[in-house]
Amino acid sequence: MSPVDRRGFLTRSLTVLGAGGAGAAIGLAGADGASASAPPASLAQAADAIGTRELAVVVPFDGPHQAGILTSRPAQATFIALDSVAANASELVEGLQALSSEARLLTQGQSVGVTEIDDPPPDSGILGPYDSPDSLTVTIGFGASLFDHRYGLAAKRPARLTEMPAFALDELDPTRTGGDVLVQICAGQRDTVIHTVRELLRAVAGRFAVRWTIDGFQGAHRGPTAKSNTRNLFAFRDGTANPDVTDDALMNRLIWVQPGTDGPAWTAAGTYVVVRTIRQHVEFWDRVGMLEQEQMIGRERVSGAPLGGTQEFEDPRYDLDPHGQRIPLNAHIRLANPRTSATADQRILRRGYSYHRGIDSAGDLDQGLVFVAFNQDPARQFATIQRRLETEPMTDYITPVGGGYFFAPRGSSGLGDWVGSGLASA
Amino acid sequence: MALRLGAVVVLALIAAAAAAIIPGSHGSGSARFEVASVAGRSSVTNRLPIHLTKVFGSDLPANRYGSIIGAQENQGVDAQGQLSSDLSPVSPSAFNRPIAAYRAYAERWSLRLAGAVATLRAGLAANDRGAAQRDWSTAFGDYLHLGAVYGLLPPALDRRLAGLPQNLGDPHFPGLHRIELGLWTGAAPRSLQPVAAALAHAVTQLRRTLPTVPIDTLDYTLRAHEILEDAQRDYMSGDDVPWSGAGVFGTEEGVVATREVISTLVPLLQGRDNTLAEAQNWLGQLQGTLISVRRPGGGWPAVDQLSTTQRERIDGSLAGTLGALSEIPGTLETTDVPVIPSIAAQEAKR
Repeated sequence: MSPVDRRGFLTRSLTVLGAGGAGAAIGLAGADGASASAPPASLAQAADAIGTRELAVVVPFDGPHQAGILTSRPAQATFIALDSVAANASELVEGLQALSSEARLLTQGQSVGVTEIDDPPPDSGILGPYDSPDSLTVTIGFGASLFDHRYGLAAKRPARLTEMPAFALDELDPTRTGGDVLVQICAGQRDTVIHTVRELLRAVAGRFAVRWTIDGFQGAHRGPTAKSNTRNLFAFRDGTANPDVTDDALMNRLIWVQPGTDGPAWTAAGTYVVVRTIRQHVEFWDRVGMLEQEQMIGRERVSGAPLGGTQEFEDPRYDLDPHGQRIPLNAHIRLANPRTSATADQRILRRGYSYHRGIDSAGDLDQGLVFVAFNQDPARQFATIQRRLETEPMTDYITPVGGGYFFAPRGSSGLGDWVGSGLASA
Repeated sequence: MALRLGAVVVLALIAAAAAAIIPGSHGSGSARFEVASVAGRSSVTNRLPIHLTKVFGSDLPANRYGSIIGAQENQGVDAQGQLSSDLSPVSPSAFNRPIAAYRAYAERWSLRLAGAVATLRAGLAANDRGAAQRDWSTAFGDYLHLGAVYGLLPPALDRRLAGLPQNLGDPHFPGLHRIELGLWTGAAPRSLQPVAAALAHAVTQLRRTLPTVPIDTLDYTLRAHEILEDAQRDYMSGDDVPWSGAGVFGTEEGVVATREVISTLVPLLQGRDNTLAEAQNWLGQLQGTLISVRRPGGGWPAVDQLSTTQRERIDGSLAGTLGALSEIPGTLETTDVPVIPSIAAQEAKR
């Protein structure tokens, strides 16, 4: 590349740096990590000029809760489980601080200019000189293994955090399971996510090693209404019965660890993350009759309505159907959420992504679901539901192969703070 | 359809051109009119694909198609409400004879399995690895012939016959695969005798259980494709034959068991769609593909010894076969599938 090109690059980068700074300021102004703010005027102008306004959407990184939990689900995601290779606790803290500060820069769309012409550029540059925030969120969680003997963190372990147990039909691959730290990266475009993966891993080099990773995607919104949920790879709508994320009281009952009640103080306002990599045997599924598919799920495939109903969000009314004439007693939706007062506090917030990883050794498509659920207490919520589901007929068509339990602490409070800073305080 | 309309338009254009240039033919004005009217008709009739909200040829809304058609098929009517012999459901009692025939077949194979296990025990006692491996394959194949019942056996018995541990590194489990582990990883054949003795007991219990194991009608028709679904997932991947790699052999035995299930269903399948011919055609092709990889001296290659071409041919034939077999349950839909009541109807009844 000629020196002239390099100077041109430098000029553009510096121009955008100013715009990125404005983006961060607006991002911080949103007090609650749950809401995406409008892009700042300069960024929006630049984006409008090339017709990519959605690329300019900023989701705040700092806030009472981490982003990527209640915030809406962008189309693309990558999940990375990291193992710490830090030699001691202070190196670990350095690594976690670097993770948060790089995540803040990237999510707020702050571009880094070329500083020394002879050095490798500080940014891979795959998004060009302008780091489009593109609804990017980076959500950080910790696995039970981080609290083992290595870093003296045993007393800090969140009260409900364990290794993910193997459920009856799991075929967990140890190389795709567990990890000290989980990083969930979500954004509108694949290249935004990949750029984030590269920059985050570069920032934590020597502190963390990748244990496993998986890419996910959302089905596009295809209606019929704006509220209609998208479909998973079994073609059924997924997420219909999710609790209302705008209901703060409900979120405090189901999702967020409450202060002073449940474990070390630093864990308040955090949540437990369950990730399950679930292979879906799609060819087999596609050879199953429509009626049988619908009876396994308990919903109409096209509309998503509970069987016997007319629209997706209709109450399945199990009270009217005690013998399962309409919705079989072992249908997925009925076992997962019986909708009784006794099971109301078992509800979880699902935020999954589909995946496609090529083919397996038998020539079958390796597709499935990165099941992601947030809950206040995995034993009370996710695991209770999962044990009920061990008897559902759909188990023949899926194989859980990996994942893990993690704890996602409260959000960072701003510059100088970092996700997990409670680990380092006395 | 579009092609044919296009051809009509082209012919009409030629006719119009001919009318225009050939003196003394019919008036050119009227010919032009005809061309216009043909083109007009084609655009009026061709309104099918764009905004389809009703299923073509019926009054069914597209978004309710699955459940409504399912309910109608139960009544033996097609989408137009016409009685249809092809879709009329099969009485559940019509399956009594096929299931009885299959049960007798399974009982015969369980007897052969008992004999094969006895032979295997002799081979182990003689400490002859080569003979014991061949005997193991025979016994494993005989067990696979029971394909249509193994999902119905009590799980504990299934595990004693041919279970696999959750962790393959854990050697504390019983059955055929425990013997496979020993014979293919260097254990002295003689040391496997206690496992084989326990296996013989399990086979005895299997033979006692088979005459009474309940076989549901719906399960039975599903088995027509699920035997090979299992073969594809568990054997062609090598997952369930981790030490011997006997996945091609396992699939071949699955073909034989599937043929047996289908042979009992021939009287019911005849005259209903083209399902039987399709299934038999694909099974024949699959069997041919499998035989083409058989070793010259007899015996089957392990799954990881297949060339890419062999592997792809088997995967392709197996996928085609499974597609054809998956039509069988629908073709033989029974009358005992209940119609799903609506929420409104249940509410009104209360």
